[in-house]
Amino acid sequence: MALLSKKSKEAFKDPLMASNPISLQVLGICSALAVTVQVQTAVVMTLAVIAVLAASNTTISLLRNKIPGKVRIIIQLSVIATLVIVIDQILKAYMYDMSRQLSVFIALIITNCIVMGRAEAFAMQNNPKDSFLDGVGNGLGYGGILISVAVFREFLGNGSVYGVQIVPETLYSYGYENMGLMVLAPGAFVILGLIVWLHRIFAGIEAE
Amino acid sequence: MRSNSYTLIFTSLITIFFGFLLSVAATSLKPRQDINIEIDMKKNILGALGIEPKNSGKWSIDEVQKVYRENIVGIVLDKDGYETDKDPKNIDADKDMNFFPIYIHKTNDNINGYVIPISGKGLWSTLYGYFAIEPDCETAKGITFYKHGETPGLGGEVEKKWFQDNFKGKKFIDGNNTLVGIQVVKGSVDKSSKEAYRQVDGISGATITSKGLEVFLKEDLAKYQAYFNLNKEVIG
Repeated sequence: MALLSKKSKEAFKDPLMASNPISLQVLGICSALAVTVQVQTAVVMTLAVIAVLAASNTTISLLRNKIPGKVRIIIQLSVIATLVIVIDQILKAYMYDMSRQLSVFIALIITNCIVMGRAEAFAMQNNPKDSFLDGVGNGLGYGGILISVAVFREFLGNGSVYGVQIVPETLYSYGYENMGLMVLAPGAFVILGLIVWLHRIFAGIEAE
Repeated sequence: MRSNSYTLIFTSLITIFFGFLLSVAATSLKPRQDINIEIDMKKNILGALGIEPKNSGKWSIDEVQKVYRENIVGIVLDKDGYETDKDPKNIDADKDMNFFPIYIHKTNDNINGYVIPISGKGLWSTLYGYFAIEPDCETAKGITFYKHGETPGLGGEVEKKWFQDNFKGKKFIDGNNTLVGIQVVKGSVDKSSKEAYRQVDGISGATITSKGLEVFLKEDLAKYQAYFNLNKEVIG
């Protein structure tokens, strides 16, 4: 018997490419614009989202047969909100500088459409194992785009990647300048738009 | 469809459970978070004074605590400039309008400088920082900002070294011992100007942030003039 059934594999793999939450479902754009000025913040944000998604999907899937249909959305929200607050508290205690840079955007994972979207669309109908994999997969799919955007923005806007200076000092003395647009929100729109476009071309998706 | 009582019991249980989880997380992590906030404040005070970590890299928690303990004394002044028995930790800048914390940099009873907290409106946000002053009580020694929401690359440049280094050696007191504040000019300071002693280079594209900084810096300095004048009498 294979380690993972076909369905489990799909739950994990689909959101990475074929139904990527950002570039194909266009969810979670707000944070994708806000935390991608530096690669480091994008990485921490990715880890936080993966943790929240995996845990919320699993919890909601475990409770799926007990949750009364009338109040399911508010129950999902309380699970998600609790997890996000716990992660925010942990960051404040152990990664203080990082939590300062991410500021409100960790708390705003609560409103990230991906998390509730997956809870409602997947975890409510599937078993905990598949839901966990779906959570991790969506988190990675989200993070992959986030980090790609951040690599371009930090490189073009700051001359560095993950805090390491890439553009040599000598180039600056010859008149090279960082692209100020990239550290502002419009820079993220441009990069994100290009990535969505490229991704759709390679995934072979026609206009809807 | 489930009954209303089931729904009610289920939601109550969920609420109690998650509420409990949250309070456990919040209380158990609180001490560590408080230390982080304290260390961050101390780092900023040392930074304003131009004190760098020994290994030219990052501060470790122990190093910050040690250097701070050996060099800095925090006291609270009343509005007439006299020392009170309050602890700067317990002063809330928004509530205690008549008490002003000041941090004194001392080595073996020699005063090397003073640090005062500064804050005020820029363009989008309130800026928070520290302003360090030479022992003569009229020359700037350094400035840092630890929190602001200004546009990166424009107003956000206030956190950059080139802008902050600008302030070193500038005076905020004129020849008649009047508080004049430090002026942030457009472009670069004209060195031949009579006012150059109290002017710093501005940030292009950030006029409102610069003006805001100029205004709140002067307001905050005004709170400490009584104390500085007392000090000058002692020295003079």
